[in-house]
Amino acid sequence: MELVFAGFGGQGVLTSGMIVAEMALEEGKTVTWMPTYGPAMRGGKAYSVVKYTDGVIGGPDIEESDVLVAMNGPSLEYAAYLKEGGTLIINSDEVADDLTVEGNFNIVRVPCMELAMKANNPKAANIVAIGALIKKCGLFDADLARKVLKQIFVNKGKEKFTAANEEAFNAGFDYVQ
Amino acid sequence: MKKMWKGNHAIGEAAMRAGCQFYAGYPITPQTEVGEYLSWRMPELGRTFLQAENEMSAMYMIFGAYACGMRSMTSSSGPGFSLKQEGISYMCANNYPAVLVNVQRWGPGLGTLDSSQTDYLRDTRCGGNGDCRVIVLTPNSIQETIDLIYIAFDLAEKYRNPVEILSEAALGQMMEAVEFPEFKERTEDLGWTWDGTDRDHGRLANPDKPGATKAKYERIEANEQRYETYQVEDADYVFVAFGLPSRTAKNAVDILRAQGEKVGLIRPITVWPFPYKAFAEVNKDVKGFISVESTDAGQLIEDVALAAKKLRFNVPVYGQFTNQHIPKAKEVVKFYEQVKAGQIKEVF
Repeated sequence: MELVFAGFGGQGVLTSGMIVAEMALEEGKTVTWMPTYGPAMRGGKAYSVVKYTDGVIGGPDIEESDVLVAMNGPSLEYAAYLKEGGTLIINSDEVADDLTVEGNFNIVRVPCMELAMKANNPKAANIVAIGALIKKCGLFDADLARKVLKQIFVNKGKEKFTAANEEAFNAGFDYVQ
Repeated sequence: MKKMWKGNHAIGEAAMRAGCQFYAGYPITPQTEVGEYLSWRMPELGRTFLQAENEMSAMYMIFGAYACGMRSMTSSSGPGFSLKQEGISYMCANNYPAVLVNVQRWGPGLGTLDSSQTDYLRDTRCGGNGDCRVIVLTPNSIQETIDLIYIAFDLAEKYRNPVEILSEAALGQMMEAVEFPEFKERTEDLGWTWDGTDRDHGRLANPDKPGATKAKYERIEANEQRYETYQVEDADYVFVAFGLPSRTAKNAVDILRAQGEKVGLIRPITVWPFPYKAFAEVNKDVKGFISVESTDAGQLIEDVALAAKKLRFNVPVYGQFTNQHIPKAKEVVKFYEQVKAGQIKEVF
């Protein structure tokens, strides 16, 4: 399984990948997570790639993706590496509805920022996207995902955010039918 | 239980487990997290972390610390490593051990932050003046980075020679699930260090003992070649790749084998000494070697060609050079198909 989380620096696309990588590890998979970003702390292009399998992983960078989570318009360039029939989650708060993507993909448009605001967690648009991703693709059991999400922030000493993060996760999860 | 660790943080922790007592360095992407990690981890363990005023100073601090026998390490990326070359050469001249970590970025001058292997020729030939060599280890995973750092200090002290871990930007930045070995400590005296007595600190590489260095390098070449071979015994074509490209090249071997193509892979783990022994395992009727590397003009390929010559393979050596990115498995497969169809001209 190869997933790409792309956006501009500051949108949390490196963290998104790391959260999903931890979920895969909890499932007992072999996992890699690789970030790419420019010299700028914020505003530049950034993406992270997560790969997981039961076997051995080759290159950690984008090769042929199963999933692309595009948090902004420029990220759609990585759809060029998306497999036929792959899943494309688009943050519709940053990408115009009439923007079309070439290729045969399962496209889900999620207003990640609006849902994060409604969940009183405006910084968690990336976690909304993870909720949507897990519902759409059924990658992991939802309770396992919630447990890992919580554990990551507890381990970082950011326990106070766990409830708000779960709310953001649920907002994305419930948005996708 | 295995945990997700970032490559650069793992470098720092592995050095601690291996008994490193002193670290000096200077920040540079994509290596900065090594120092960042050690800046709090070393004081926690009662060891010494120092951010030097520049790369060259850091190098000479390692020189001084190891002269007194402290397990010491520095790390940097390509441009910073250029600045360290003088100190590396001096350490070689004095037969001092050291552990050096280069998390490579791409390119000459300032280069870019992209993952690459463009420091290969400088580091395998020792970029400093004089006729010196550094033992160069090239991990292709974070676990292997840990395992190699764990033995690097022992190797350095055994041969009284600097040992370098040649990593890559992506390998420093990425995360994988890893396990760490137990803490170890060297307690015995090295016998030659500056300890306040007038014992013999004699240099081996001095004008009175010509040839002593060559003899040492020959011992290293005989004893320390490390490598992995994969399906080379019956291969018509053999890829040669180290570090991250070796992982995608191995994927390419599996894809091509499934299509009935007879291909194999040599993965050097030491690139100095270069693992000539691996080439002795190759099918005597091999039709060619293909060097797969993240360089612009081809660097590893020179050692592949020399190895082919040494082992008396009179076959073409091709090179796939992917510049600023890790070759994708699909690209390697495509390159092989072009080689087989006679569409690619050999380099050697």
